[in-house]
Amino acid sequence: MASSCSQALRHHVCKSSRLLRVHLQKSWTNRSFEGAVCVSSSFALNSAADQQPAVSSPEEIVIPKKKTWSKEAVLQALASTVKRDPTASDYRFQDDPYLTPKTSSEFKLFSLSQESGRNAAKYFINTYPKYFQKDYAQPHIPCLMPDTLEAQIEEVSEAALIERIGMRKVKAAVDLYDQLLQAGTSVSLDVTNQLLDLICFYGDHDPAQENVPEQRNEETEDVQDEPQAKKGRAAKASDLLKATWKEKNNAERIFALLSEPNKHSYSALIRGMVKYGAYSKAFSTYTDLLNSRLKADMHMFNALITAAPEVKEKYNEKWELIVDLLKQMAEQKVRPNLLTLNAVLKALRRCGTVGKSQAFPVISEMKALSIDLSLASYTHLLAIFYKPGAPIQGQTDILQEVMNEVSGKSFTPQDPDDAQFFITAMRICLDTKDMEQAYRVHELLGVGENWRLLGNDFQQNIYYARFFSLLCMMENIDVMLKWYRDLVPSVYYPSSNVMRDLLQALDTDNRLDLIPQIWKDIKQLGHANRQNLVEELLTLMAREKHNQEVQESFAECALDIKKIYDTGDRGKVLLNWTAGSLSDLISVLLAAHRRQDAWDMLKLFKTHNRVPSEELLNKFLMCVKEGGEVNQAVELVQISAGFCLPGTPKLIQRVQQEFELTEQQRKMLSDLEIQSFNSE
Amino acid sequence: MATSLVRKTKLLSMVSSQLNSAACFRNIHCTAACLKNRAARIRVAKGDKPVTYEQAYHPHHIGHRKGWLSQHTSNLQGEDGAAERVVEDVFIRRFMYGTFHGCLADEVVIKRRGNLLLICAVMIQKLLPSKFYFLIGYTEELLSHFYKCPVKIEMQTVEEKVVYKYL
Repeated sequence: MASSCSQALRHHVCKSSRLLRVHLQKSWTNRSFEGAVCVSSSFALNSAADQQPAVSSPEEIVIPKKKTWSKEAVLQALASTVKRDPTASDYRFQDDPYLTPKTSSEFKLFSLSQESGRNAAKYFINTYPKYFQKDYAQPHIPCLMPDTLEAQIEEVSEAALIERIGMRKVKAAVDLYDQLLQAGTSVSLDVTNQLLDLICFYGDHDPAQENVPEQRNEETEDVQDEPQAKKGRAAKASDLLKATWKEKNNAERIFALLSEPNKHSYSALIRGMVKYGAYSKAFSTYTDLLNSRLKADMHMFNALITAAPEVKEKYNEKWELIVDLLKQMAEQKVRPNLLTLNAVLKALRRCGTVGKSQAFPVISEMKALSIDLSLASYTHLLAIFYKPGAPIQGQTDILQEVMNEVSGKSFTPQDPDDAQFFITAMRICLDTKDMEQAYRVHELLGVGENWRLLGNDFQQNIYYARFFSLLCMMENIDVMLKWYRDLVPSVYYPSSNVMRDLLQALDTDNRLDLIPQIWKDIKQLGHANRQNLVEELLTLMAREKHNQEVQESFAECALDIKKIYDTGDRGKVLLNWTAGSLSDLISVLLAAHRRQDAWDMLKLFKTHNRVPSEELLNKFLMCVKEGGEVNQAVELVQISAGFCLPGTPKLIQRVQQEFELTEQQRKMLSDLEIQSFNSE
Repeated sequence: MATSLVRKTKLLSMVSSQLNSAACFRNIHCTAACLKNRAARIRVAKGDKPVTYEQAYHPHHIGHRKGWLSQHTSNLQGEDGAAERVVEDVFIRRFMYGTFHGCLADEVVIKRRGNLLLICAVMIQKLLPSKFYFLIGYTEELLSHFYKCPVKIEMQTVEEKVVYKYL
């Protein structure tokens, strides 16, 4: 028995080893490492089991190919198991309640102060680089070394010029170039072209150094003030002073000095002119290029197409110019690329109706040249067909077609206008009130790397504001609140307008009992000092009668609101009472039977010079009757008389009828009656 | 007696001459007194000195009632760099003490994960949050450039120093 078992074992072992050997020899080259191990083990087995005869039908054991994983594979796998935490704030901030931003202004303040701390550290590192030279890191990490900001090569030579171009020092490079020419050394065409590139890219100014505080001297006064009308961009001072192409600047001068400018030089000059607004000059330079029988390149054509809508007035002329340029491009056998397509589409935005008719033919031609559309192309397409503020004419299917094309794909940034896609799409969804497409747009944001294309914090705010407004308008309150809890305040801090939309949505769906919770959020977001928001809140609370517990919560909320209205400890008045808000507050308190609080509030009418309405006093009287406080009723009448309200006689009559008055009170009332009678 | 004395002195001179020869040279090592009985211990006094949990327990309680303030792998078998880590830790503690002056509620805990240096600190809410973030950005950037490895700060704030007992 034992021997037969061992025989069977050896049989099996021989079979498997033989199969191993067969397969190993087949794919020896693929698996060098593990092959070696297996071969050695198979030899060991073979020596033991060589006496047994071979088995006839081998089963195929396919050893799979070894997978190579990237170094971050484990981290990526772990990361894919974790979804966004809706209760946490942004990753930039510390996870502590004191250090978490609660409003959008705090968000900006904290992230900016962290950045300025970094800049302060960078300043120290670059000013005292000798303390940071010791290199512990293997492999070397270049971004953790101090920056070399000073040019090393001092003597006047071409190498020094190349160095300054590499360090982006525009003025220093131009000065050095002039020195070189004066000294008589000729500078090669390549280096001159690089210099031209540098000047044209930066528009003849030194790029703003991030850490060095801006030095305002005479040079900045030359720059013309051309404030770009980009809506509400959080503008720094340097952004507002957008440079324009000056007359007789260094680029043109150096270009003129060149004996034989080649197409690279022309290209740099034209692109610089277009970037900084000298459009007609760009076209004249282009004609010079054609006259000197040089060929243009793709970047030049892209720049010219961008400039085309600026030089012509009428839509047809603009389009004809663009078509002309494209034809010349075809003649010179320059292949267009994605940026060409985007430039054409962007220009078509300015072409009105011509744009609408020509957009799709352009796209199909470009597709025939196998240019894939990027998000910027879709943005321009949507902007051509959906002009902001224009009435919708039944073109809702274009957005749907675009979303069909785009859904499920992950895009990489290829054009600076890619970041406008989500905002534009959400604006269109808001204008056309299309909830389904809005959900698809939001879903696209979650695909792959698309979150990078949402833009900076400001654009993110705009996107979410539009999304929320749409949700408030279209969806019912439960869905709305689900999104609200998911996104606020971890991703988005709503503005006061969005909170008003939310209140209206609550009103529409009859969920006014949620108002106290929303008020807490409003306070936390820092909108508690907005007059119209608070007044609207009070009006909604005071409008209808609800059941007892809701009224209680409303009363608590109302007292909370009252605290905001009272002057702060420094005497600063945050909000002003109006007659409407006071009345609403008192009605809410009365509805919850908080008579004492309401009575105190009534005094405030006098102090703040506001006049109470008749119905408020009637309501108050009813409440007072329930409590049976006769003195209060008389005082109420006196107050009403004090304001010379027209309803005073009726009030007096009611009090006389409904209450049991003492002699004194009766006399007072009759006096008041006569008084009010006389005043009429 | 005299002979034994002479023998002893002869023996002593023989020994000292042998000692002076190059083969067996032994120097006397002098260090400052280590005072192991007094390190990191706050002695019991009148009863009005507030003391945190970290300060209240003595070094022999580490591993039993206290954790470690500095966590790295250089003390394992076959790993090197322990001395460098100690020097780095001392520098980091002094740096944090000086940069966040008066705000530290307790000792700084330093953890090393891979090449990431994680500095965990508990702060008193003495400064505005924006000022805290300024100092955090500054510290992270400066220490990253200094030690050529990513440095992250994890901060927690408390309203006042947490007193464990009064000694």
